[in-house]
Amino acid sequence: MSALEKMNDVITTRLGFAINWARSNSLWPMPFGTACCGIEMMATFMPKYDASRFGSEVLKFSPRQSDLLIVSGRISLKMMPVLQRIWEQMPEPKWCISMGACASSGGVFDNYAIIQGVDQFIPVDAYMPGCPPRPEAFIEALMSVQEKARKGEAKSDEFVSDDATRDPSLSPSYRSPDHFESVEVPGARE
Amino acid sequence: MSVTAYAKENLLTLAAKVEAAFGEKLLGKEEKIGYMQFSVKAEDEHALLALLKNDAALGFTWFLDRCGVDYVKYPKAMPERFGVVTTLLSPTLGVKAQVRAFVGADASIPSVSDLFAGADWTEREIFDLYGVAFKGHPDMKRILMPDDYEGFPLRKDYPLRGRGERSAFPVYHAIPASQAPREP
Repeated sequence: MSALEKMNDVITTRLGFAINWARSNSLWPMPFGTACCGIEMMATFMPKYDASRFGSEVLKFSPRQSDLLIVSGRISLKMMPVLQRIWEQMPEPKWCISMGACASSGGVFDNYAIIQGVDQFIPVDAYMPGCPPRPEAFIEALMSVQEKARKGEAKSDEFVSDDATRDPSLSPSYRSPDHFESVEVPGARE
Repeated sequence: MSVTAYAKENLLTLAAKVEAAFGEKLLGKEEKIGYMQFSVKAEDEHALLALLKNDAALGFTWFLDRCGVDYVKYPKAMPERFGVVTTLLSPTLGVKAQVRAFVGADASIPSVSDLFAGADWTEREIFDLYGVAFKGHPDMKRILMPDDYEGFPLRKDYPLRGRGERSAFPVYHAIPASQAPREP
């Protein structure tokens, strides 16, 4: 084999570009389906719409092995601390898609129990309108996150998350599971 | 005999039996479509439900639902602020019976979870959303809302959009320009 032929196996690029390109085509989603949007999300991963064309068919139900959080459905008062904890557990770089009207703005549920947009409490990269959105809209959002990943951008980079004093799990309003045992209810167990 | 006439007869049997047993303690009795509604005070409710369940001729053994009502802005004058409404079905008679108990300002009523196991969670739900405490319940604590939630959100004087609890979560702060990561 001549030296010239060996040269054909080599490309030159920046390392960052190559890593971002690889990341953008292997986004592993952490599905957080809490309502009907979750059904459309599942449809997107099925063969007809086939999210594996974009390299993101590996649904990881462990936040530690995923880099794309998909919030699909309404988030209640009790679920928000759980969602924040899951977001904290995901390794960086990470992205978040807010799927549907409820996750993005509370939707029609303007009451005491529903969070009026998860972007108040976690950084969101792509919003998806619709109630619920079609799988095509999901793919559009996925592609826009891929575009961001290729540029090496993520909304979470603009926010502090490694400062211990600002860690949500250390905040006084964070509810840990251990907390539940200690609550006293008047009138109980007579 | 038609089904309607059969049900009608059974409703009258039911009403006669309950009236004979309770008499003065019965605050009201009303025939609705396919069921009979009885109104009692909070302290008499357990005895009435026990009668409906244990009387062999009545046999209201099927617990359908137990829910709360807040009458604070009700157009009609009511004896007390809260109501606890229990619906039972009798496979023997083929009719339903509804018992409405009025709960006063102390918001406390005896639990019926000893009669109907299904009442356990519905009573916790009423406690969670209306603040009516059930005496003698084995595990009286919130079931839907977070355990440290303050207030009872389905009471009519509770604001629909809450008291700011839905926006009281820790937030991520934007990094100041001086600390922003720079390109190498």
